Amino acid sequence: MTYPILATLVAVLSPLGAFLLSALMGRRSVSRVLSIASIAGSLLAAIYVFGQVWEQDILHAQWTWFTIGEYQMRVGILLDNLSVVMLLLVPLIALPVHIYSVAYMAGDPGTHRYWMYLSLFCSAMLGLVVSDNLLVMYVFWELVGFASYLLIGYWFTKESAARANMKAFIINRIGDVGFLVGIGLVYAQFGSLDVRYLFGEGGAVTQALVPDGIWQFEDHSLPAVWLTATGMAFFLGAMAKSAQFPLHVWLADAMEGPTAVSSLIHAATMVAAGVYLLARLFSLFDANVLTIVAWVGTATALLGAFFALTQHDIKKILAFSTVSQLGLMMVAIGTGHVAIAMFYLVVHAFFKCVLFLGAGAVIREMARLRDRYRLAFDPQDIRAMGGLGKRMPITAASMGVAALALAGIPLTAGYLSKDLLLVSVFKWGLQRDGLVTLIPFLLIAVSGMTTFYIARCIFKVFFGKLRVRVSQGYLDTRVHVDAAPKSLLIPMAILALAALFPLFSRQPLHIDDLWLVNGLAAGTVSEASFGVLHSLLPVFTTALSAALALLAWRWYVRGRYQADPSQWLYRLSLNQGYLDAAYQTIFVRPFIALGRAAKAFDTHVVDGAVSGVANAGRKLAAAAGWWDFRVVDGLVRLVGKTASWLGNVFRRSQTGRVQYYMYLMVFAVLLVLIYHLVNQG
Amino acid sequence: MITLTHFLAVSACLFAIGLFAVLVRRNAILVLVGIELMINAAILNLVAFGRYDAQFYGGQVFALFAIVLAAAAVAVALAIILNVYQQYNTIDPNEIQDLKE
Repeated sequence: MTYPILATLVAVLSPLGAFLLSALMGRRSVSRVLSIASIAGSLLAAIYVFGQVWEQDILHAQWTWFTIGEYQMRVGILLDNLSVVMLLLVPLIALPVHIYSVAYMAGDPGTHRYWMYLSLFCSAMLGLVVSDNLLVMYVFWELVGFASYLLIGYWFTKESAARANMKAFIINRIGDVGFLVGIGLVYAQFGSLDVRYLFGEGGAVTQALVPDGIWQFEDHSLPAVWLTATGMAFFLGAMAKSAQFPLHVWLADAMEGPTAVSSLIHAATMVAAGVYLLARLFSLFDANVLTIVAWVGTATALLGAFFALTQHDIKKILAFSTVSQLGLMMVAIGTGHVAIAMFYLVVHAFFKCVLFLGAGAVIREMARLRDRYRLAFDPQDIRAMGGLGKRMPITAASMGVAALALAGIPLTAGYLSKDLLLVSVFKWGLQRDGLVTLIPFLLIAVSGMTTFYIARCIFKVFFGKLRVRVSQGYLDTRVHVDAAPKSLLIPMAILALAALFPLFSRQPLHIDDLWLVNGLAAGTVSEASFGVLHSLLPVFTTALSAALALLAWRWYVRGRYQADPSQWLYRLSLNQGYLDAAYQTIFVRPFIALGRAAKAFDTHVVDGAVSGVANAGRKLAAAAGWWDFRVVDGLVRLVGKTASWLGNVFRRSQTGRVQYYMYLMVFAVLLVLIYHLVNQG
Repeated sequence: MITLTHFLAVSACLFAIGLFAVLVRRNAILVLVGIELMINAAILNLVAFGRYDAQFYGGQVFALFAIVLAAAAVAVALAIILNVYQQYNTIDPNEIQDLKE
């Protein structure tokens, strides 16, 4: 047990300990302190482990979990570059979110539940990224989904929250089926679930060859289609977890949870678990699967950006933005650029988290505004906001920086990641032919839409005039909106700084020097390899972004709005492609009907059979009783009655009259005499 | 000639009449009469057969016993009837049904 391994165990188990203690202690405010302390501990441990493992030897520790006969299941911790990046990222995002949550959730009853679940989530996520066994990874995968369910439904008394968390859990379940099938297939072919053995350098998966359509590994062989199937199974898991089309519908509804939860789980970490899984298992995916991944990613990116264009709820804009960005990460994986995908994941985690934290601050202040003036509007609706930049300057600045990162404007880390992604995908696309050459151009469209929707969001929220009307003649300038408290602002600002380029590169514009990418990629990434693409592409996209931002400015700040809300494209976007309604009709209603039918069958047929048997038993008992009473006892009674009747018959001869007796006597004598007379003769 | 048979026939008739009286009469004293008649029938039978016992005249002697016994029986019976009358205020045997089941 070396120190890094020990530190990793501390990092994973410390939030778990906080969860268990909070669970045992119930309603005490010390849960808050426990959670923050535990995640801080995890962060320190993670920093240490990162320092020890990044760009150094891979550390791998195993213990025996169980033994069946001669087979030993060994599980443990695998620390390589990929694990420690995620191991560091999660607490780095989680700690600011924890601190932010203190003020954000203040006054809410039952916050001990919130801290409990948050700690559970952090522990599960950390366990997910360091586990060296697919089955253990699956356990943590499920736990993460479960923690997400608990947190989405944190305000479970709200109908919409309860429905949203069920939706999230069920859709995640679909992905979990895929993951489990994948585990089964991998085990069938390789006889092991050890990640390093399978997917490490020269791992078993790379040694499995596919000659003549047979997937061959040592003495196991399956038809080659199973290789594709296995890859698709794991991708299904990633699709559900990372909200890819068509399983993206849960993420928008997951915004029912507290905004701090949205920022941590549904923007930065949990949804990235799918990308992490694909990065980890990358050598398993053959060309067919990767093509599908790329197309699904593209579709998701396009749809997410399209839906984000028209949403009114600020959190929904950000949710669809997340969907879209996850699609981009999937495209990176699908085109074979795993290191770039991970880099994009890390950068996205920072700026998306800042966007959500900022949105949370804005929503909080709008809610307080509504309560102060006793108005009625949705505090999350951007149509009610406006001009908040003057009143909430730090929030505005942080969100502004994050928005620039999302749009990929130079001087931010977002520019570096997006530039690298687009350039790599272009190079990949131009080397191929067929439909896939469209993908890079579609991504340019996504990039444009991204700039537009985030510009729309920022402009409508922070610029212009406050659109909420306050009665009794209050002028806009007299309406009082506070800036957010320090404990909300400081975490946000720190993470916003991380979204700028210095954390990731020494220069703002060139992609030669990205330590993160170089650590994760097989070779080094250099600008020269992209040739002229690298000069043209970023200029073009930045110009496009600037133009679209200007258009957004004209529309939303100047008010010269020119889109028609009743047009079909607008409505399609606003209603999220009517996908929810489609799923409701195609899947939900039939299943509920099936459930009702099963219930009816159970009540009438199954229970009916049971009561039928009971009734039959009762009738049989009644028949037996009748037989017993009437026939068996009847015979006995008959004997008695016969005796009685006989007695009555003979009683009639006892008349008490002497002459009658004498008459009988004479009669008897006569009979005897006649008898003898007859016999004599 | 008057043979033994004639005596026996007369005695039988007497007996039958006496029996009839015992069985039918609604007056206890007339039932007694009937009993007497039956005893007398028996006595007549005895005397009729006594003709053939020249040595001891057994029939005759037994007949004397029977007459005495008849008298005694009547005495006792009358005593019973008197007591019955005192108890039930009637001497119709049909009326006395206390031993009826």
